[in-house]
Amino acid sequence: MRKVRSNHFDLIVAGAGIAGITSAAAAAGRGLRVALVSTGPGSFVLGAGCVEVQNMDRGTPSLEEAMGFFRNLTELAGCGFRGGLDETRHIPTILGSFQTVSLAPFYMWNGDPEAAAQVAVVGIKGLSSFDCNFVAERLVYHAGKLGRGSTYVAREIELSTEEGTVAGTLQFGNRFDRDPKFRKELRDALKPIAAKASLIILPGILGLKSGQEEIEGLEKELGCLLCELPTLPPSIPGMRLFNRLEARLRRAGVEFFTGFPIQKLEVEKTHCTGILLDTPARPLRLSSETLILATGPFSGKLLGTPSFGVNSDLRPVDSAGALIADNMYAAGAILRGNSARGGNAMAILTGYAVGMLAAGAGVQYAQG
Amino acid sequence: MRKDDVSLDNCLKCSDCNTACPVVTAHPAYPGPKRLGPELERMRREGIECDTEWVEYCLGCHRCDLACPNEVNVSELIARAKSTHQKTPIRKMRDWWFARPGLLGKLLTVAPGIGNFALGLKPVRLLMSAFMKITPERKFPAYSDAALKAPAVVTAQKGERVVFFPGCFIKYNQPELGCHVLQLLQLNGFKPEVANSGCCGVPSLANGDPAEARRRAEENVNSMIGAVDAGARIVTACSSCGHMIKTGFANMLEGDAGLAAKANRIAANTYDLAELLVAQQDEGKFNTQFAVASGNRKLAYHAPCHQKSQGIGRPWYNLLQQIPGVEIEDLNAGCCGMSGTYGFKEEKYPVSMEVGSELFAGIRASAPQAVVTECATCQMQIEHGTGIKAVHPVEILLDAYKAKARV
Repeated sequence: MRKVRSNHFDLIVAGAGIAGITSAAAAAGRGLRVALVSTGPGSFVLGAGCVEVQNMDRGTPSLEEAMGFFRNLTELAGCGFRGGLDETRHIPTILGSFQTVSLAPFYMWNGDPEAAAQVAVVGIKGLSSFDCNFVAERLVYHAGKLGRGSTYVAREIELSTEEGTVAGTLQFGNRFDRDPKFRKELRDALKPIAAKASLIILPGILGLKSGQEEIEGLEKELGCLLCELPTLPPSIPGMRLFNRLEARLRRAGVEFFTGFPIQKLEVEKTHCTGILLDTPARPLRLSSETLILATGPFSGKLLGTPSFGVNSDLRPVDSAGALIADNMYAAGAILRGNSARGGNAMAILTGYAVGMLAAGAGVQYAQG
Repeated sequence: MRKDDVSLDNCLKCSDCNTACPVVTAHPAYPGPKRLGPELERMRREGIECDTEWVEYCLGCHRCDLACPNEVNVSELIARAKSTHQKTPIRKMRDWWFARPGLLGKLLTVAPGIGNFALGLKPVRLLMSAFMKITPERKFPAYSDAALKAPAVVTAQKGERVVFFPGCFIKYNQPELGCHVLQLLQLNGFKPEVANSGCCGVPSLANGDPAEARRRAEENVNSMIGAVDAGARIVTACSSCGHMIKTGFANMLEGDAGLAAKANRIAANTYDLAELLVAQQDEGKFNTQFAVASGNRKLAYHAPCHQKSQGIGRPWYNLLQQIPGVEIEDLNAGCCGMSGTYGFKEEKYPVSMEVGSELFAGIRASAPQAVVTECATCQMQIEHGTGIKAVHPVEILLDAYKAKARV
């Protein structure tokens, strides 16, 4: 019988954004018993998970390895990323512009104007957060600037809504997951458009729990590529990515503690012995050999110092350069100099690096 | 400024709560926690009339609270709106009874044979449907007048004193389970006794009756504070009771500083049974003298919402995994949709079943011999929705000890 000390872990990861999830997956994959503590699903509710590496130092040693790991992780989660470091694609946004990405989830990857010549931008009647006429018009302009010959036409479909409600992406997303009649209704509405287009761009509504099976299945039935864009929060594709990754991590044995912020990091003599979660009645104490902080850009107060940096091993250091704790790492947007652009690439790179470091694997993060 | 006033302004409208809400997911017409909580609360505080029947449809599962990245007490804002909501006369009368399971339990256990017989009759259920808007689709749980007491101590029992808070369901419907809880505590070195307690008040809050919930909180605090101040810990085996003692008593009693302080002391010393056993395990004191399993048991675990809201991890799942021969899968398929009395209400029955459908599908796919969950009404809903037996994890753990315990 395996003896489990339930509230003691090899590794605690704080934060369930891309950095936290990547590090937890990397460490769990190396056999560590991992706890993932979080309040809410990171920035998944806002975005879709595109990865830009254009502004990054391509010489960073583990960059390629990290991206490969992340691609594999998402594939196993049933929500695979496409692309790679040497690829560049222009993916449309709901503002009708293009963003340059190297990797993107499968449901966006086909959105590049090169992938298709005849593009239909499909809006849904009553859905205020996605204006197909505006998006199509701007995409025509921006595709011209990129020198692409693709054409964009706006099309509007009508989908039934539950009585007493207005069209909303969350309603459509939930019905896509649960109601075969709704999936048929959507398919039937898209069919005539698909007959005259090689790509359909539509607002993100294709389920919060669905994956490649369901969405690529729809593509096959329509005989047309799909590109799904996240709209105003909640981002349906973003939540889908989160749900699939969470399910994958659970299967890999990661223990989730969701909904309770960290009250305190217990640091004694530059060693972190545990954390206290702000749970009802009394704090829940979790202890671990190693701690990874992937708590986003506003986590300075956790470390008890307004300014901190990291050394070449991604361990937080104070303003004098001294280690805050010898068994602590930082990853993702918590790191300084991490601008909003390229945030996911940094999150994957640093998340992977610290996950492997926590597992004792010799990953080289910094050059030299 | 009160903490909840700050909390209201913390809402950034990110909609995480709406994606986590089981009712939104299953029933798109429901406006969702963001709307019924922080958004309408702003108007309610300005005295703007915005009462809506939808507040009754909140399950009280607290998943919105856990999803919020910014610590807004969404469900509490909805619960407060529930208490001032104007109901139709029939629902008002029905909910008055549903808010008082302790009173119902006392009445029905006077002559449980007659009560159970009557409640099981189809005409009676149809009458309850017509006159009380209680769905005839469900059977009421059977009531029992068996005594709730610890079995005779096997060995000289010296251990730590703990006080078991049984709650209405164990007290009036499953006293046998209560006896098993006490036995399990004994087998793990504790000296258990049964609290002289009443209903925890969760059903009162769920049915929009905070005054009744406050009375129950006060009564329970006064009955348990002596034991806690003498160093005993309180143990719960019902996740809703545990949730209420930990989060609700002090809240209900905040108008009385003395009582609220007592409530906080009780809360700080209240443990879910599995939480207590995990703490024992971390100290190397968890009893692992399991009998050799007579056969493999394939189980599926459902974590009740009020277990998740306590922030204690998955203690039962982790404990049961250690029993030789037990194979257990965590379903992680959302809320069951029962929410205590909610699923009995005629107008809410369809929503309750829609919410549960994901869990039912998960259970069918897992095809276990039994589902394990520590909430009695989750058990009822699972059996109703799938026809597969649902049991409290205490029964599995006790079974695992059995052969050794007898010698």
